[in-house]
Amino acid sequence: MPDKKAKFILIITVLILLLCAVWAAFALRKPSGQRVFIIQENKIIQELDLASEKDQEIRIASPDGGYNIIRIQNHEICISEADCPDQTCIKTGILRSENLPIVCLPHKLIIRFAEEGEQP
Amino acid sequence: MKLKKLTELAMLTALALIIFVIELRFPDILPIPGVKLGLANIVTVYAVFRYTPAETAMMVACRVILGAMFSGNMSALLYSASGAALCLIGMIFISRFLSLKYIWLCSILGAIFHNTGQILAAAVMMQTATFFSYLPILILSGSIAGLFTGLCAQLLIQRLHKTEKTP
Repeated sequence: MPDKKAKFILIITVLILLLCAVWAAFALRKPSGQRVFIIQENKIIQELDLASEKDQEIRIASPDGGYNIIRIQNHEICISEADCPDQTCIKTGILRSENLPIVCLPHKLIIRFAEEGEQP
Repeated sequence: MKLKKLTELAMLTALALIIFVIELRFPDILPIPGVKLGLANIVTVYAVFRYTPAETAMMVACRVILGAMFSGNMSALLYSASGAALCLIGMIFISRFLSLKYIWLCSILGAIFHNTGQILAAAVMMQTATFFSYLPILILSGSIAGLFTGLCAQLLIQRLHKTEKTP
C-alpha cells in the first residue's frame, strides 16, 4: 500500500538534508584572512593577526571565575586549556574555517576569523 | 495517573538516563561540539509512539534535567532542554502522520528539530548568528544518528506489538 504522507515527509527530509550538504560545504570554506577576533560576552576583547603573531599563550579570565588559555603556535590558534565542564572548546582544535568558530559556551567565549574589512 | 503508567514512565526515564550516562563515556566521534549519537533518544522515540504526548513530555523533561545533573554540566541544560523540547514537539506532530513502518523517518526529523533547537538557544544566549554555520553539519550528522536510533526504536516497537498480540 503506497503511503502518501510518509512519501511526502520523506521527500521533504531528503530536501532538507541536500540543502544542508550544500550549506555545510559553503560553511567549511577556507578563511580569506588571518585576522582573528576573540569575543567574550558578545564584545570583541582582542584582535590578533595570526600572520605576524608570535607563539604564545593568552589567558582569558571569565567574569564568572573560570578561564580559558588560548595558544597561538605556527600561526594557528586553538584553546589549550579551560576549566569549563564540557571541554568542547579544546576538542574543537585549531581554528580552520571562517564560518566555524571555536566556542566555549560555559564561558561565553568565541574565537573566529574576522571578515574582510571587518573592524572591531 | 495510574500507578502502572507512572512506574513505566519512571523506568523509561531511568533507562534513558543509564544509556545517557554510558554514552558520556564514549570518545567523541568528531571534534565538533554537539555531534553525538544520542542513544538515549531510542527511549524518547519509543515513548512518542507508545505514550500520550503529556506522558512523553514528562519523561523527557525528567531525563534532560537529571541528565544535566549527572553529567555535571548544568550550563548545557538550556541548550539540551530547548533542543529536546523542539524535538519532542516536532516528533509528536509528525508521528500522527506516520505508521509504525516509518518510525525511523520520524526519528530523523526529530534529530533535525533537536539540532535546530540547540543552535537557536545558543544563538539567543550568545546573541550572535555565528552558530548557524554549525547547523548544517549538526543536522547531517544528527540525521545519521537519528536514523540509527529510530531503527532501534522501530525494531523494539514492532517486536513488542507481536508479543502483545500473541497471548
